[in-house]
Amino acid sequence: MKQSSSIEPVAITAYSTVNSCGFGNDALLKALLANQSTLTTLKLFELPFPTYVGEIKKPLPEISPALERYQSRNARVALAALNVAEDGLRAAIEAAKSRYGKQRIGVVIGTSTSGIYETESAYAAFLEHHKMPDDFHFITRHAYQATARFLQLELDLKGPCYAISTACSSSAKAIATGQRLIASGVCDAVLAGGADTLCRLTLYGFKSLELIAAQHCQPMDKDRSGINIGEAAALVLLEKNTAHTRPPLLLAVGESSDAHHMSSPHPDGLGAALAMTGGLQLAGIDAVHVDYLNLHATATKINDQVESQAVYRVLGDQVPCSGTKGITGHTLGAAGALETIIALLALKYQFIPGTAGLQQTADECRCQVIKNPVPNQSLSIAMSNSFGFGGNNASVIVSVNHE
Amino acid sequence: MPASSFPLTMSKPVFIHGTAICCPEPLSLDGYHLPTLEVDKTLIPVVLRRRTSLTTRLAVTAAHGACQQARIDTTTLPSVFASLGGEIQVTDALCRLLPTNEPLSPTQFHNSVHNTTAGYWGILNQCQAPVTAIAAVDDTFAMGLLEAWTQLQLKPGNILLVCYDELWPQYLAPPIGQTAFACALVLSTEKSNSLASITLPKVEPVKSCLDEQWLSLVDSAPAAASIPLLDAIYNARGSRRIPLNTKGDIWFTYFETF
Repeated sequence: MKQSSSIEPVAITAYSTVNSCGFGNDALLKALLANQSTLTTLKLFELPFPTYVGEIKKPLPEISPALERYQSRNARVALAALNVAEDGLRAAIEAAKSRYGKQRIGVVIGTSTSGIYETESAYAAFLEHHKMPDDFHFITRHAYQATARFLQLELDLKGPCYAISTACSSSAKAIATGQRLIASGVCDAVLAGGADTLCRLTLYGFKSLELIAAQHCQPMDKDRSGINIGEAAALVLLEKNTAHTRPPLLLAVGESSDAHHMSSPHPDGLGAALAMTGGLQLAGIDAVHVDYLNLHATATKINDQVESQAVYRVLGDQVPCSGTKGITGHTLGAAGALETIIALLALKYQFIPGTAGLQQTADECRCQVIKNPVPNQSLSIAMSNSFGFGGNNASVIVSVNHE
Repeated sequence: MPASSFPLTMSKPVFIHGTAICCPEPLSLDGYHLPTLEVDKTLIPVVLRRRTSLTTRLAVTAAHGACQQARIDTTTLPSVFASLGGEIQVTDALCRLLPTNEPLSPTQFHNSVHNTTAGYWGILNQCQAPVTAIAAVDDTFAMGLLEAWTQLQLKPGNILLVCYDELWPQYLAPPIGQTAFACALVLSTEKSNSLASITLPKVEPVKSCLDEQWLSLVDSAPAAASIPLLDAIYNARGSRRIPLNTKGDIWFTYFETF
């Protein structure tokens, strides 16, 4: 590794996720190792067009009566991730509270649509009866910060609390903000990550853009035809790196803007490349140090084409890459944190995840896309790309130390 | 790498270089001596303009005003966009359409994201620097200032903070959104030519009553939480403690002119 980095690495002392693979990191790991799609037809509500989704099927935990006003599918999915006992996230937060004090722990959660699912039902009632239902609480259920605030109250934390909402890069950016809050000395620990849940707006919205695949999505495939939407909560606890233990590290997050179009990426992938090179610079590493890249790879024609160009330009064709949205679906505002966790699992268990749904790699794709998972005993540093509407890009870089 | 190689405790001072307020109904600011801009839709080229909401025009007007005052290069300027509801009118229109099973407009859909204004600002200024979009209900302005402050600590230079909320349908969360209000600040680690300095926002005990007019204005215009700081920038000399939100734990910054 070279020179000094321009941001202090922070420790990732616990993490957990709930998504269509199941509850907890082990369920996700199992699906990754099997390269098994967990996409199904939608059960949550009726849809007038065919597609597959990454839907959470297990019953979600109830919000406690004291926080009833925060009741939303989004908050419940986040609560489920907090409660996975084997992943120890809640216990690690309690330990951090006694170590640093609750004032020193922030909560920064990325989301694209927060609790809009409940609002959609409220509008159906509103249009019929000309008034919102009595249990409609816009601020505590639907406002962008609702899930972050719910987690803060649930955990009795007192530090800064806010939502980042930059579409599909939201939770990667939330992780970036978490690192900055610690590196600038404002917080000692930050619960960061994202939560986004299935709703009509995103399904109908991506349909209107003609980006929804009727079949299982095929990231980086020559015949790819669009996305499958998923839902997830993915939470990471970031802490000052005290170096007493050897937890995985968040090295840096590179961020950039396309400055090109609201929903189409820059045709030359300039913004995507800038996020990756920016991340490398902040982390103080070179492209050759990256052992694995989790691609954004949504499986739309243009996104995958542009990303593969940008990856080739920054990382060349030797870094193994894969896109995992064929397993989980595209979890939108939660994708950055979910795929950061996938990168952490790849480092912890020393394997390169595959690209479920990929049959024949697109001709124009010059980066090294891995179809099936492969063991690899030399993984130290992994990167995860997330690109959102508004041309908003982020590349998260994490590492493990095996010594 | 040892953590001690980073100067964690030595924070860099942050200076205000420009500011602007956009408020289409300046009557709501009666009693304050604050210059306000009217929404200037011509700042957005015609080809993009018909796609933009009042929210975006409001925020872009304030952002442009602050950057003009600071005489700053906007092509490399990182920015933080802070808003409680963002594109609330677009979201409302889409939510009204969803139960009808009518197809959505693709433009309306991509313009419903919280970072819509942030995205248009980047396109208008051909700026590839990082931009973020945050939300924190009553603490939106305070957290926006905190986010900008921490970004400057780690990347010295300039940053733009824009805080805004437009008119809201009154069946969502009344009285929020009865007044449209946007403000923008250009902040920098560079002292020369600055208007004032501010310190890291922190929660502190409230020592005296908060101004009643301000409290009631913030209830209908969340971004007006910025008014005590704006008032200090335009009207104060010396140093004072400035509240940044009105409810729950109160965040403060210390403001000082030279």
